[in-house]
Amino acid sequence: MYRWFLSLRYLRARRTNWIGAAGITVAVAALILILSIMSGFLEESRNHLRGNLGDLIIMPNQDSPLSGNNTVLPKTDEAAMMEIVRANPHVSGASLQMAWYGMLVPDSKSALLKHPVFGDLSLIHLVGIDVPDEYGASDLKANMQASDDSGTFKVTPVADLQRPFDPPPFYYSDGAPKAGIVLGAQLAAAWNLHPGDEVELFSLGVDPITRSVEDQGCNRTFVVTGTFRSGENEMDMERVYVDRRTLADMLGRTTAWSQILVKLHDYEANKVAAVASLRSSLAEGGFVHRPSGDDASDYYRTEVRTWEDLRGNLLGAIENEKSLMGIMLSLVMVVAGFTVFAILSMMVSEKRRDIGILTALGAHPSGVMSLFLMIGCWQAFLGASLGAVLGVLGALNIDAIETKLSELFGIQIFDRSIYLFDHIPSVIEVTGVAMIVLGAVTCTLVFAAVPAWRAARLNPIDALRFE
Amino acid sequence: MTDPSNAPTTDDAPAADIILSGRGIRRAFPVGERSLEILHGVDLELGRGQRISLMGASGAGKTTLLNILGLLDRPTEGEVWLDGLSAWTLTTPERAQLRNTSIGFVFQFYHLLAELNALENALLPAMIALPHVAYRHKREEYEGKAVAMLERFGLGDRLKHRPGQLSGGEQQRVAIARALLLDPPLIIADEPTGNLDSSTGERVLELLFDEQETRNTALLLVTHDRRLAQRCERMVHMEDGLIQADSTLTIPT
Repeated sequence: MYRWFLSLRYLRARRTNWIGAAGITVAVAALILILSIMSGFLEESRNHLRGNLGDLIIMPNQDSPLSGNNTVLPKTDEAAMMEIVRANPHVSGASLQMAWYGMLVPDSKSALLKHPVFGDLSLIHLVGIDVPDEYGASDLKANMQASDDSGTFKVTPVADLQRPFDPPPFYYSDGAPKAGIVLGAQLAAAWNLHPGDEVELFSLGVDPITRSVEDQGCNRTFVVTGTFRSGENEMDMERVYVDRRTLADMLGRTTAWSQILVKLHDYEANKVAAVASLRSSLAEGGFVHRPSGDDASDYYRTEVRTWEDLRGNLLGAIENEKSLMGIMLSLVMVVAGFTVFAILSMMVSEKRRDIGILTALGAHPSGVMSLFLMIGCWQAFLGASLGAVLGVLGALNIDAIETKLSELFGIQIFDRSIYLFDHIPSVIEVTGVAMIVLGAVTCTLVFAAVPAWRAARLNPIDALRFE
Repeated sequence: MTDPSNAPTTDDAPAADIILSGRGIRRAFPVGERSLEILHGVDLELGRGQRISLMGASGAGKTTLLNILGLLDRPTEGEVWLDGLSAWTLTTPERAQLRNTSIGFVFQFYHLLAELNALENALLPAMIALPHVAYRHKREEYEGKAVAMLERFGLGDRLKHRPGQLSGGEQQRVAIARALLLDPPLIIADEPTGNLDSSTGERVLELLFDEQETRNTALLLVTHDRRLAQRCERMVHMEDGLIQADSTLTIPT
């Protein structure tokens, strides 16, 4: 009984105890805040990096033999392949795409005067799509209507979403009617292009499917029908959507596809199973190479990939940053632990006489030890719970806090234009918060154990002589 | 405890009317590489309800002997029997419990806990004796007992005062209430009036003797004061780590 009672009394009697608890509070709150913001960044970045990618991308390598011994090339029958993909139970939508590299030259040279930094040409990524299928496999439809925003890159929607490549109604062509294209919003803004403007597209002489060098590129004039904004920088800067058959026609190719975009029913839950089953059923049909062994770096495994595999480097970097921040801030926790250690050590020397009295009155060493451990426990408990509350509140109101701090110091702490986010993202992970609180309590108790153990070993005679 | 010669046998146990028995107590302290013996084999028996004084010059080994008889220090040789138990054959928690229930300490410097008020200080032995839930059940009983005792000692209006707000005499009376709370069969008092002026000391001593008589508790009183020692029924004189004289007196009433 006396342990509870005395630990609370000692806790209240010494103001330094609150410093110990405050140290833990700061450490816990900072850890929760930073990890929440990093999780928010990760999630926000995932949304942005995804852009118009679907869930999975199938890119068969069509010019390598299926196995080293024979020269059978993978089949390229896209109708049969689509059938296999659509038959997969995880798949909710699939769409054929034809991707090519090209250059864009605006018809009106006035654009050059307005944007000299861009030069006369812009390297672009030409993507030929089938319209209803594409809407089922990626977020393009929503991104073509996105009408949020802070205004930098406004989306101009196409006139008819079902027929996005039809020229706008006010467009007047002096020759044969041109086919339409949908541009990334940043690309359109850079060239000051609006629906109805004509642009010339050149294809590059390198075939991205077979990687062979063609003799020459070809060119054709198109009319801008609208723009999209996916949020992913590269895509909004470089991508130009065009009808798949128009693109094949322009390039003069018989194979009119290079990849299949796939959307799953539940990506997060089924991604691993879906990739595995698609790999095996496509390899069965002779469309992709059978992975040899379990080697993850196997070249042929790149034929069926998730969108995260394609963006792996960027996502990995943020993930990495998050764990580094966690490790560094854990050191703050260790410092808080040292504070508790110092405070309790001081208290043990200060309370030598009390320890002697308690021993004389019949307390045994383990009781004395738990008395001082309990004081550490209270500090840990108070500090960690207050820190958790502050950390969670801080993470929830980070934008308001940032605004206040920015006003106070007169500097912009979070520059929204760098990150393309209009708020500081934060996601509170309950397990993360629980882990931090648990870690703080454990750390404090480990540090408190040393002075508590010393208190228990104190000789009562020496302690009582102390006056 | 590990020494087989120390193992208790029923033959060794002192008679039932003996509350405290020290046999052949030697205590040596290491000084550098040598060891300095303070007690050279002390034998002392204390009957139940007996009031005994321990006198001697400074350095005679009184405090060392007291610490050993109070189970705070382990003798280098010899054994201590308290209430029929050989103290150093018990485990540490058992010995702590024995100290808790069988000995009441009164120190020269009162030794109250500064963070607790008078009543809480007096209740401390009960708090140490009982775990949390058990204490809650018996709390009222102990509180009633402690309050009654402190009121009898003239501290009725001082219950909620911290030791710092009490005079020396008041503090020592709280310490006596603390020593008596669990009705131990033995009180060990180490110069209880040594730090008080003579009239205050006289009143504190009066109170201690009264309680000891009504409760029939044994009292081991360490003192420098011969007049005080003469009020005990037995007077033990120590010199150079040995008992030089052990005389039974008739107490003038």
